[in-house]
Amino acid sequence: MLSLVEAGFSRPPTLAPFSACLRPGELLAIVGPNGAGKSTLLSLLSGFRRPEQGSLCLDGTPLHRWEPAALARRRALVAQTLTLGFDWPVRELVALGSEASAAEIDAVLALLDLEALAERGALALSGGEAQRVMIARALCQLGLGRSERTEPGQVLLLDEPTSALDIGQQQRLMRLLRRLAQEHRLAIACVLHDLNLAARYAHRVWLLERGRRIAAGTPAEVLDGRTLARAFDAELTVGSRQDDGSPLVLLAP
Amino acid sequence: MSRTLPLAGPWRRQAQGRRKQPRSPRQVLALLALAVLVALLAAAMSGSVGLSPRVLLGEWPSPLAWQVWWQLRLPRLLLAALVGAMLAGSGAAMQGLFRNPLADPTLLGLASGAGLAVALWIVLLDGAAGSLGLYGQFLAGFLGALGVCVLVFALGQRQHGQEALFTLLLAGLAINTLAGAMGGVMAFIASDEQLRQLSLWGMGSLSHALWSATLGALVGIPPALWWLLRCARGLDLLQLGELTAHGAGLDAPRLKRHVVVATALGVGLCVALAGIIGFLGLLVPHCLRLWLGPGHRLLLPASMLGGALLLIVADTLARTLASPAEVPVGLLTSLLGGPYFLWLLLKRRARC
Repeated sequence: MLSLVEAGFSRPPTLAPFSACLRPGELLAIVGPNGAGKSTLLSLLSGFRRPEQGSLCLDGTPLHRWEPAALARRRALVAQTLTLGFDWPVRELVALGSEASAAEIDAVLALLDLEALAERGALALSGGEAQRVMIARALCQLGLGRSERTEPGQVLLLDEPTSALDIGQQQRLMRLLRRLAQEHRLAIACVLHDLNLAARYAHRVWLLERGRRIAAGTPAEVLDGRTLARAFDAELTVGSRQDDGSPLVLLAP
Repeated sequence: MSRTLPLAGPWRRQAQGRRKQPRSPRQVLALLALAVLVALLAAAMSGSVGLSPRVLLGEWPSPLAWQVWWQLRLPRLLLAALVGAMLAGSGAAMQGLFRNPLADPTLLGLASGAGLAVALWIVLLDGAAGSLGLYGQFLAGFLGALGVCVLVFALGQRQHGQEALFTLLLAGLAINTLAGAMGGVMAFIASDEQLRQLSLWGMGSLSHALWSATLGALVGIPPALWWLLRCARGLDLLQLGELTAHGAGLDAPRLKRHVVVATALGVGLCVALAGIIGFLGLLVPHCLRLWLGPGHRLLLPASMLGGALLLIVADTLARTLASPAEVPVGLLTSLLGGPYFLWLLLKRRARC
């Protein structure tokens, strides 16, 4: 389990220390206004930036003490953008970071509806396609294409994975993430801008504002009209869906 | 959730057929190694002191001819192979490190930095005269290349993408200009003997390769090549960007240190031994990448073999084209590489 104990950054971009953990089987949505520190938090969770205060542990061992290859089998990261210098074929790009077999790669590509693009060059992809390719790569790194799973307690971190996807792809991706969390006991943390996606698919939500976590809990607890209006400086109302009662965020006219 | 491609029929086949399934890595490397071997044999038999093909039939040359060949031709061939492999291999590694197909030891000023250090050594410290001569020259080349490498790297680190590329190329330009000017100053204050030494070395030529120089290359270059080969997987991961690569298990700072030191060591040695041989480090990896794809586990060893092949061929041409005079091989590679580079820039613009 990935756990934070009063972990944070004192140097900019700062992050006020807090304690929390990513639970296996849960899809966590990290939301907040621009510049609130969502990506900063993700670079903390992935171990890219070592916490200046407190500690960050996976299974009780601080992340920086993990052997990089062993850690890579346990946690994977999908960054916000993909910038490539060279034209990698999608299939080879997806295999970077794992010794995946062709069958594994095919399985992961199928999960993200990418089979038709497998032999194409990555530089020719659209933004949404590139985004799904990078998610496929992370899943491959965690060995999710294999028929039998080996590593328990894996962590998947995603930075705005839906930002370039159309509404149908958004739905399919969020369903996939939720399914992976539940079926494979993955702990998934996902930065999201669309509050309704967070409300609909996440098990838990963290709300960040100006480098501190100001709320955490179930979507119904966190996505409260007054809190959101203040945090985002927006005029909005929060209703609830008729089918399952989850929050529904609407802009005021 | 099926999504069909907008391309259909023959168009789609063409789009897919564009990227031919490459041969297996082993086959590619075996093919290139064979080509290097053939080129070595051909080069060994060509020119004024070349062996006669009858050697293959077991007919040995006269002891004198053999002696001349052994003293003059063999070290030169080995040096060409090693320098070619090093320049092309370090070009491939630099391009991977900067994630940019235009990075190259000469363009980034590494070679001229090493060259300037060697010039300083020859002129100011009168290094060529001492007993440490050649080895001092190696060390000067290494330190010069390392200094430029660190400087260029510090500049490239602060920015990303397109902006970083401009900074790097401009820095390379500045370093090349500065080194050229200071080299001119050195030539101005040098004594006649030093000047002869400088100009002999500076044109990029393998013609004064003797065993003493080749031994230095044999000791220094293979470890640098091996070191670069070990970085191949890391360079692949780095293509994902530093954040993602870290998530995939890469220790990026360590990788950078290794590539920078191995490149500086190898390129410094090459420049100290053979002067500045341009464009090899740009040309070879680029052509091979078009053929083999960008994965470094194949690209790095293939570039090394390809570089060795190209420099052996170029040096043979340099020896024989204007025989009995010699064209400096550095001039030859620049004459070939310059137009190719321009064509490359034009083509890139068309695609973007």
